[in-house]
Amino acid sequence: MSRIINDFTINVATANGTGSQSSNLIILHSMFEMGVPVSGKNLFPSNISGLPTWFIIRVSDKGYQAPGDDTNLQILMNKETWEKDLASLNPGTVVIYNEDAKMPADRDDCICLGMPMTKMARGINPKLARLMANMYYVGGLAHLLGIDEDAIEKCVEQQFRGKEKAIELNIRAISEGRAYAAENWDFDCHFDLEAREKSSDTFLIEGNEAIGLGSIYGGINMLSWYPITPSSSLAESIISWIPKLKEGEDGGVTCAVVQAEDELAAAGMVLGAGWAGGRGMTCTSGPGISLMSEFIGLFYFSEVPGVIWDINRTGPSTGLPTRTQQGDLSMCYEASHGDTQHIVLIPGTVDECFEFGWRSFDYAERFQTLVFGFGDLDLGMNRWSTSGFEYPSEKMDRGKVIRTQDELDAMANFGRYRDVDGDGIAYRTLPGSGLAPILYRGTGHDEDGIYSEDPQVYQATMERLRRKIDGARDVLPAPLLREEPDGDVGIIFYGSMENSIVEIDDILEQSGLSVSTCRVRALPYHSDLEGFIERHERVVVLEINRDGQLYGILRKELPVHLLPKMHSVAYSDGLPPRAREYAERILRVLEGVE
Amino acid sequence: MKPVKLNVINLEKSEYTGGKSSLCPGCGHDQISNVIIQAAWENGIEPEGIAKMSGIGCSSKTPAYFLSKSHGFNTVHGRMPSVTTGANMVNKSLSFLAVSGDGDTASIGIGQFIHAIRRNLDMVYIIENNGVYGLTKGQYSATVEKGSKKKKGSVNEQAPIDLCAMAVNLGCTFVARSFSGSKKQLTALVKAAMSHRGMAVIDVISPCVTFANNDESYRSYNYVKGNDEVLHILDYIPHFSPLEEVDVPEGEYSEISLFDGSTLRLETVGEEHDPTDAVAALRAIHEGTAEGSHVTGLLYYNPNQPTATDELGLTETPLMALSEEQNRPSKESLEMVNAGFRAK
Repeated sequence: MSRIINDFTINVATANGTGSQSSNLIILHSMFEMGVPVSGKNLFPSNISGLPTWFIIRVSDKGYQAPGDDTNLQILMNKETWEKDLASLNPGTVVIYNEDAKMPADRDDCICLGMPMTKMARGINPKLARLMANMYYVGGLAHLLGIDEDAIEKCVEQQFRGKEKAIELNIRAISEGRAYAAENWDFDCHFDLEAREKSSDTFLIEGNEAIGLGSIYGGINMLSWYPITPSSSLAESIISWIPKLKEGEDGGVTCAVVQAEDELAAAGMVLGAGWAGGRGMTCTSGPGISLMSEFIGLFYFSEVPGVIWDINRTGPSTGLPTRTQQGDLSMCYEASHGDTQHIVLIPGTVDECFEFGWRSFDYAERFQTLVFGFGDLDLGMNRWSTSGFEYPSEKMDRGKVIRTQDELDAMANFGRYRDVDGDGIAYRTLPGSGLAPILYRGTGHDEDGIYSEDPQVYQATMERLRRKIDGARDVLPAPLLREEPDGDVGIIFYGSMENSIVEIDDILEQSGLSVSTCRVRALPYHSDLEGFIERHERVVVLEINRDGQLYGILRKELPVHLLPKMHSVAYSDGLPPRAREYAERILRVLEGVE
Repeated sequence: MKPVKLNVINLEKSEYTGGKSSLCPGCGHDQISNVIIQAAWENGIEPEGIAKMSGIGCSSKTPAYFLSKSHGFNTVHGRMPSVTTGANMVNKSLSFLAVSGDGDTASIGIGQFIHAIRRNLDMVYIIENNGVYGLTKGQYSATVEKGSKKKKGSVNEQAPIDLCAMAVNLGCTFVARSFSGSKKQLTALVKAAMSHRGMAVIDVISPCVTFANNDESYRSYNYVKGNDEVLHILDYIPHFSPLEEVDVPEGEYSEISLFDGSTLRLETVGEEHDPTDAVAALRAIHEGTAEGSHVTGLLYYNPNQPTATDELGLTETPLMALSEEQNRPSKESLEMVNAGFRAK
C-alpha cells in the first residue's frame, strides 16, 4: 500500500469524563509540536460523565481544518458506541481498540489492532486505571504514526503542569503503549507523519479565549455573565486574565465581574454599565439571547453602547447544547420587538476573535448601540492556530460623549437625541456629570429625550436610527474576498465555515468550476459585497443552519436586480461542517440552476 | 421679598424638583415624590451625584417628577436592579435612588429584587406599593392582602408577598415600611436610607385613588390611617447639624448611627423595637398581618456590611473615568501573553 503522508483523519471514541480529553490534546499538541498542520474537534455530550464523546483529529499538509469526511484511524474505547462506530468505517481503516472492553473487533476488511489497555493501566495504578487507559492509545498511535517522543513528553508536561506524579505516570503509560504496539502489532502503517518546519511563533488557542483576551485589550470594565455552554469558557478566560492584565495603579482591578442571576440580568448590567459610561459586556448562547431580547430593544431605542457575544450552539430551544450551528444570525441582527437592527461582528479565525473582541467596544461606543459578537461552539471551544495576537492598531473610540460644561456650551441646541452632525449619531452626557441630565427611557421620546407619542417625532426617530446603523456598513470589517479572475461561481459564507472553505473550494474546482469566495465579517453588510455579487454569474450563500439566515437577510436588503443569481445552501446537523457534505450540496444546487 | 431658603450646599429647593406629574390627582405616589425632593434637598445632596432608577408602571414614571438635575433611567419592567448593578460597577461614586412598584418588584422583577439584596447593592429602593396594577387598569398585584377588596371586582383570596419580611429574611441591610400619608415618618426614613451604605428598602403603602381607595381595600387612605401600627417616632439628625443642638425627647429613645455620620433617633411608642433584631422585625410584621394592621417604621438595620462593589477589589477611580492608558493593557503585556502561549 502506498504511504500517505500528513493526510488523514483520526477519530477517538471514548466516554465523557474518563480523562480522554487530556489524551486527545496530547496527541493534537504533539503533532502540532512537530510542525504538522493539524486541527482537533471535540464532539462532546451535554453530560458530566458517561455519555459518548468523539475527538476528531485532522492532519493535512494542505491545511484543511474541517473534520475529514472519512475516518482513516479509529480508536475504540467506548462500549456504548463501539458497534456503530465500527460498522460505519470504510474498508482499510486502521482500528486501535481496548481489548479489555471485551467487545468484538470483527471487521476483517479493516486492520484491527488490540491492546489490553485497562489491564496495563491497572499495573501502573489500580485506582486510576480508567483514566490512565486512555494514555495507552496515545502510545499505540505514536508507534503507528511515528509521533516524536520528545514532543509527547513536552505536551504531557504542559497538560499536567506542576503535577510531577501525574506527568511521570502518564509518560510511563504512553511508553508502555508504544512498546506494546511495537512488540505485538505486526502491521506497517501506511499513514505517516512527517515533521514540518514549525514556526516558533505559532500556537493553538480556543476562539473563546481569544475573544476574552481581545475584550481585555478593548478595555472591558464590566463582565456580567450567566453560565451556559458553549460560552462559559469565554467568561472564565476573562476572569482568569483580569489579575494579570487588568490591574490598576493602586493594585485594584479595572474590570468588575458579576455572575448574574440569569441572562436578563446580565444584559441589564451591560446596559447599566454602558449608560454610566463604562465598557460592559456579556457572553451567552442562543437561549440567553432569547431571554435578553427585551433589553436588546432598549439598547437600540435608548441608544446605549454594550457588547454581547453569542457563541452559537444548535437550536431551537435547548436543542443540541454541545453541538455547533450558525443558527442565531437573524435573531442577533433583528433581536427584540418592533423594528430593530443591530451590528453583528462575525470572526472566522482566532486572530479575528481577538481583533473583534477589542473593536466591538469601539463600534458600540461610536454608534451608541448594542454590538453582537457572533461565534459558535466550533470556533469557540476548539483549538486553532495563530502566530500571535496583534496589539490594537487604533486608539479607543469613546464616541460622542460631552464631558465638560465648555463642550456643552459650545454646542448650539444640544439635545440627547438631536442629530447635529447628520450621521444619525447624537451626543450624550453621562450620569454623575451634571451635564444636560435626562431621564433615559424605552418609551417614545423627542430630540431632547422628553416623553413623546407624537407620530412625526416617533417616525423621525426610527428613520434616524436606521440611518445611524446604515452608516456603520462601511466602517465595520469588510468582507474578505478570494477572487478568481474568471470566477463564474461566487460563494458567500461567514464565521467558522472559514475552516472548511478551502477544502470545499478545492472539491468544487476539481469538478471544473472556477470558484471565488467572499467571507462576510459583519452586518449590516459592507458595500463591497454587492460588487462581489455583481462580478459573478451565480452566487451561493453557504451557511451552517437549516433556513439560510444570511441568505434571507441579503434577499431583504440587496438591490432587486441581484436577487435572481442568489442561491442558498444551508445545512446543519450539529456537527462542524465536513467539506464534501457541503461541496456536494453546492454542486446539486448549481446543477438545478443550469 | 421673602428670603430664598438654601440648603447646606446653598441650593434652593427648586434645584431638586422635577417635571409635572401625569399621575391621577391625589395619587400617593406624588406625595412620595415630594418627600424625595424634600429629603434630598434637606440632606444637601448634590443632585448631579444622584442616579434615578425605575422600572415600568405608575411608580416608575415618577423619576420624571423629581430631581430634574439628576440623570435617570426608566428601564424595563422589573429589571431596574440589574441596570443599577451595571451602572454601580462602573461608577461606584453615583448615589442610586430607585423607585419601583409592587407589580414591578413583587411579580415580574422579584428575582432581580432578591439578587440585588443578596449583593447588598448600594442603593435606595423605594417601593410605591398600592396592591394594584394601575396602568393596565386595576388588576390585583401580588402584595395585596388576603381579604382586601379593590373598588371593582371580587375580594382577593391569595396570600400576599410581604416584601419587607422577604427583605429581612434575605439579610437586607436596611428595611423599612411607611405610608405615603405619613410625611414626617417617610421623610426621616428616606433621609436615613440616603445616609445608609448598602441596600435600603422602603416599602411605602401608597393608596391608588382610582382603583383601590375604597374602605374595603387594606391599602386605602382611610384603612391605613386607622390601622397604622407605628413602631417608633423617627427623627433624622443630619451629620452637619451637631447632635447636642437637637432637642432631646422626653420619653425613652435609642439612636442609630448612619454611614455618612447622620443619626436616626427612634422614640419608643409602646413596646420598644430593636431594629438590629431580625427575628423581632419578622415577628412585628407577622403579628401586624394577623391583626390586619400595617407595621411602619425602621424594621431592620444591619450596618457595615460589604456592598456589591466592595468584594471585587476594584481600583479607586470609578471604572468609567479611567484613561485609555489605565484601561487598555500595554503592548508589552500582549507580547508577554503571546510569548507565554508560544512557550507552552
